[in-house]
Amino acid sequence: MTDATDHSGKLPEDLPEAELLAAEYALGVLDGAARAAAAQRVAREPAFAAMVAAWEARLAPWAAEIADIAPPPQLWERIAAALPAPIPPRASLWQSLAFWRGLTFVTGALAAACLAAAIYLGTLTQPQPLLATIEGGGHSHFVATVDARRGTVAVVPAAFAADASRVPELWLIPADGRPRPLGLLRADRTVTITIPAALVPHARRDAVLAVSLEPPGGSPTGAPTGPVIASGKLTNL
Amino acid sequence: MDLDANRTLIAVALGRIPGGDRAALQTVYRLTSAKLFGVALRILGERSEAEDVLQEVYVTVWRKAADFDPSRASPMTWLIAIARNRAIDRLRASRQSRAMAPIEAAAEVADSGIGADGALEMSQDNARLHGCLDGLAAHERNALRGAFFDGNTYEELAARMSVPLGTMKSWIRRAMIKLKSCLEQ
Repeated sequence: MTDATDHSGKLPEDLPEAELLAAEYALGVLDGAARAAAAQRVAREPAFAAMVAAWEARLAPWAAEIADIAPPPQLWERIAAALPAPIPPRASLWQSLAFWRGLTFVTGALAAACLAAAIYLGTLTQPQPLLATIEGGGHSHFVATVDARRGTVAVVPAAFAADASRVPELWLIPADGRPRPLGLLRADRTVTITIPAALVPHARRDAVLAVSLEPPGGSPTGAPTGPVIASGKLTNL
Repeated sequence: MDLDANRTLIAVALGRIPGGDRAALQTVYRLTSAKLFGVALRILGERSEAEDVLQEVYVTVWRKAADFDPSRASPMTWLIAIARNRAIDRLRASRQSRAMAPIEAAAEVADSGIGADGALEMSQDNARLHGCLDGLAAHERNALRGAFFDGNTYEELAARMSVPLGTMKSWIRRAMIKLKSCLEQ
């Protein structure tokens, strides 16, 4: 067994023993018993936990050397099934089917009205075109211009290198952080995409356009499945 | 994949998890599972073990997302630490040491090649860390590599590099002290 506190040899500039133990824990060299003892200190002593976190931050960039490997597709289902069940809603009214049917009817009409208003307001408040330089890895891949009045986005390839097996897909990421698919891009020519009406109000200043690499035909799930290789914020021209 | 936009996306999604938002966890999974699976697989060496660990990692993220403080840590740092810790815990629990090739103390280990995504994500921090690792003696750097990438214990490292346990401990501790002082400059 390795005793973390027993080390031979003088050190150049000693660090406190706790700090060295934090480093050893973060690096992962401790064996079973010493590791379990250090883990308990992480759970109980905030100062020790902070030292471990600082060492984790120092070492984490090294993980960039490890190649990404996609886990098997069915693993997400397994994880979703293993999550603790969500807390059920409290009020019995919310569980009444009749109530929901009635509400759906009312909200359907309301939603349509809101949507129309949102589109109207969106076009009123954003008359001028918006621009985004979609960058990643130190160079711009695409330049996009949004014409909110027409509800279109035109995307010009800048320095995007085509990949035979995957296609670039454009996403709009509004303030809620959830990417919405806009359409597939081309490396060899400008593509003009009609933004879905419901998304037009979200295509505003400071929303993010991002490009991910997807299987031919685009993401099958409606959310990015491949790496996001570039992104850029919409700004006023 | 350490693009600023991705970092923001991951941090925003982590922030929505404590409210019970499963879609937010799925977003985190989509953006980070390939990196974390790579990390776990590197340590464990077996796909089925790495899959089990990945499941534990995201269930932990689901439970502990409220502990993540975006003002204090990068989301990838936080997630990588969870993945490494879970993988190492599992490795220790299995009590089987994997057959590990000996490490020549002075051997220069070629970088395994930074993936396009990794290069994007961590380039600056990575360059800084590499600069400091380059300042270590080859045997110190190789010992740290064995611990970080393969999840080796002091004893395993001592065996792989054919040195006494005490020597290995002082190599690693000395290397960590130098590393910290270099990174703080």
